[in-house]
Amino acid sequence: MIAIEHLTVRYVGRKQPALADLSLTFHAGEAVLLLGPSGCGKSTLALTLNGLIPHSQDVAVFAGRVWVNGNDTRTTPPAVLAQQVGIVFQDPEAQFVMPDVASEVAFGLENVCLPVDEIRQRIGEALAQVGLAGWERATAWTLSGGQKQRVALASLLAMRPRVLVFDEPTAHLDPQGVREVFAVIAALKQRGKHTLILIEHRLDELIPLIDRVVVLGAQGELVADGTPEAVFNAHFETLRALGVWMPQVTLLGAALGLRPLPVTLEQAAHALRSVAALRGTTLTLPNASQRFATNGAVPAIEAQGLVHHYGSHEALHDVSFTVPRGSFFAVLGSNGAGKSTLARLLAGLLPLQSGRLMIEGHDVRRLHPREWSRRVGLVFQNPEHQFVASTVRDELRLSARAAGLDAKRAAQRVEEMLARFRLTRYADANPFTLSHGEKRRLSVATMLITDQPILILDEPTFGQDQQNALAIQALLQSLHAEGRTLVVITHDMTLAAACAQHVLVMHEGHVLAQGAPESVFAQTALLAMARLSLPPIAQLAMQLGLNPPPLTVEAFAAAVQAQRSPASLAEAPVISHA
Amino acid sequence: MLERRNPLSKIAAVVPAMVLVALATEVYLPLALAGLALAILLIGGVSLRRIAWALLPLALVALGFLLVYPLLVRRELVAHTPVVMQWGGWVVHEGALRLGAIATARITALVSLSLIFSVTTSVNDFLLALVQQARVPYRVGYAAMAALRFAPLLRYELEQIRAAHRVRGLAQRGIVGELAHVRRALVPLLASAIRRAERAALAMDGRAFGAYPQRTYWRRVPLGAVDVLFVLLLWGTTALIVLILHALGLLGPLSFVQRV
Repeated sequence: MIAIEHLTVRYVGRKQPALADLSLTFHAGEAVLLLGPSGCGKSTLALTLNGLIPHSQDVAVFAGRVWVNGNDTRTTPPAVLAQQVGIVFQDPEAQFVMPDVASEVAFGLENVCLPVDEIRQRIGEALAQVGLAGWERATAWTLSGGQKQRVALASLLAMRPRVLVFDEPTAHLDPQGVREVFAVIAALKQRGKHTLILIEHRLDELIPLIDRVVVLGAQGELVADGTPEAVFNAHFETLRALGVWMPQVTLLGAALGLRPLPVTLEQAAHALRSVAALRGTTLTLPNASQRFATNGAVPAIEAQGLVHHYGSHEALHDVSFTVPRGSFFAVLGSNGAGKSTLARLLAGLLPLQSGRLMIEGHDVRRLHPREWSRRVGLVFQNPEHQFVASTVRDELRLSARAAGLDAKRAAQRVEEMLARFRLTRYADANPFTLSHGEKRRLSVATMLITDQPILILDEPTFGQDQQNALAIQALLQSLHAEGRTLVVITHDMTLAAACAQHVLVMHEGHVLAQGAPESVFAQTALLAMARLSLPPIAQLAMQLGLNPPPLTVEAFAAAVQAQRSPASLAEAPVISHA
Repeated sequence: MLERRNPLSKIAAVVPAMVLVALATEVYLPLALAGLALAILLIGGVSLRRIAWALLPLALVALGFLLVYPLLVRRELVAHTPVVMQWGGWVVHEGALRLGAIATARITALVSLSLIFSVTTSVNDFLLALVQQARVPYRVGYAAMAALRFAPLLRYELEQIRAAHRVRGLAQRGIVGELAHVRRALVPLLASAIRRAERAALAMDGRAFGAYPQRTYWRRVPLGAVDVLFVLLLWGTTALIVLILHALGLLGPLSFVQRV
């Protein structure tokens, strides 16, 4: 179907090639997962498959061949390639180029000059395939992210390609959107008419659909190729060293010494049922009240009956909660739940319309704005949005001066922050030229210039690849370890599971639940209502009937180890893969 | 009814009237044509409320013109006409009042006529019509449509950026502060716009955009007999108005130069 022969691609202005001498074949009808560390050339590979490289994107070097159905992509016209290979990209907004759904699906068909009757028929068919039959007239701005991605997929399906490539299709979606997109991919897999090539980091949900895993190394070379079971079992240590993401259940299996390693939830559940230690026992997990001793101090934030309207739309309805000093507090909810409104209220960016808000015991109605911003910092989703200066040092200096420090104190503070956030090397660089991780550290640094004790972060991991997401998680944990109160607004349930001591679940402006993550996450009906999804490890725990469910690989492994008697340790669990 | 007319026909229909307004030297012709425009809008199914909203800024501008123009007009143009009002050093001649009234009438007419197009046409349909009937290259027209999709996204992003700057304590009060605020927001906005454009271009190329010199159109912006009729009707009515005013002696000379 697709044969890649000795492919080398190097971008203009780069010394290292993005792909180096890669040879690989994709067969008709198979579902292939492409894995590799950040920057290993996965996206580059995707762009070569339908000729966008070299036809649309200029590269310095394009050597070797990509054959699609026996056609050389270099000499085959884009119109032909577009009808053989379609790519779904990450950003649902940037892919939607027409004002309404039907025109969007028709766009590619018009480009290849299909007759109108044919186009009309194909629009209906393609939309039906992604579960959006009857949505022809809907306009782009009324659709959710998940619906937009499904339209993007429909607009490719309408071209009737035999190969579909997905480049991080869920990175910009909330949990509801992720479920929608995965459901459509599963349906495509079941129909079996397409070759599916996926770049995706939510492996636990995806692996059951995958026939084959291909792993690329840091230089874009082939590291492993085989079934998920074979690849994760034979190359576990290599993949871990490379920083390649693996299913959480596989990591859990490795932590527990299971052999062979499970790669799906079902396999893990099956293997763990046979572990005697887990039979009919109640796990003892340190619960939030133990993990977090409330020391009777004044809470960092106390909100009572917050209500906020935009015109006639009620964004927040009677929201009350308490953030204990020094806690890691997560506000969870899907898009439109009112989380961002809440963040802005807490940081003083929106006027308090109704209700009471106390910051470290001070009523905000009587708190001077400068006092407020000395206590609370807010880090926005996109770090770039915060940048205004032409060097990293000036960026920090600006914050220090705005906070009222005199020149000498400001200069001193700037150097401290540069060192603290490992940015001294880049002090004279332009903030926009930093890497993702560095930009994030700088944006946090500008918000902690007066050592703000409370830091609010709006969707810190949104749109990030796994490696960046993990780096952000580590950064948050270190800030928390310093004794800071963190309020993280997110729909990243894995992040919340790993870090949060308190969670607040919001839905359409209402508070659905709050409390320790273990107790809140155990209420599956409630999470479904809030359109959230449990992290895979917690799903496994729920399936095994563990109560309260451990939420992370570490917690799960530790809980099991603690329960294991010497006898059951000897009992090596065996699982067989069908 | 107006919304279904071809966008290009709406432009063609009002062009003669607009030229006449530009040439008018008496108030009657612009006022009559403004009346015609309002009549067309109402008959065409545009609600009174919508028209009122669209005309509100115009009303303010027109009022300002009416009051200020007589005071600012060049003295030698109107010095030969009688003085109507005198207040300290300010002298208002009758000619100055007339010129002010004419300018106001012309602006009112131009805006009213342009509403026939602007209130009833989506930019997208206009671009489609340009590509389908006016032979604008489709690559240009469709690139413009894609760019149009960016507008609301960029507005949202600008709002985010300004909030991000505000929370850093970088907001200043007053017009100068506001300008500095917007200027600072431009760099991040531009950075993200460029990135977005690159992604959109890849997504379009991935669906064979620009593969052939031609493309088919699933949805046509129709140009039918009704559109031609509409244009002719408006031209005819415009001509009729000119003739009637001429017969009544209210037309005045048609000229770019305003004399009293």
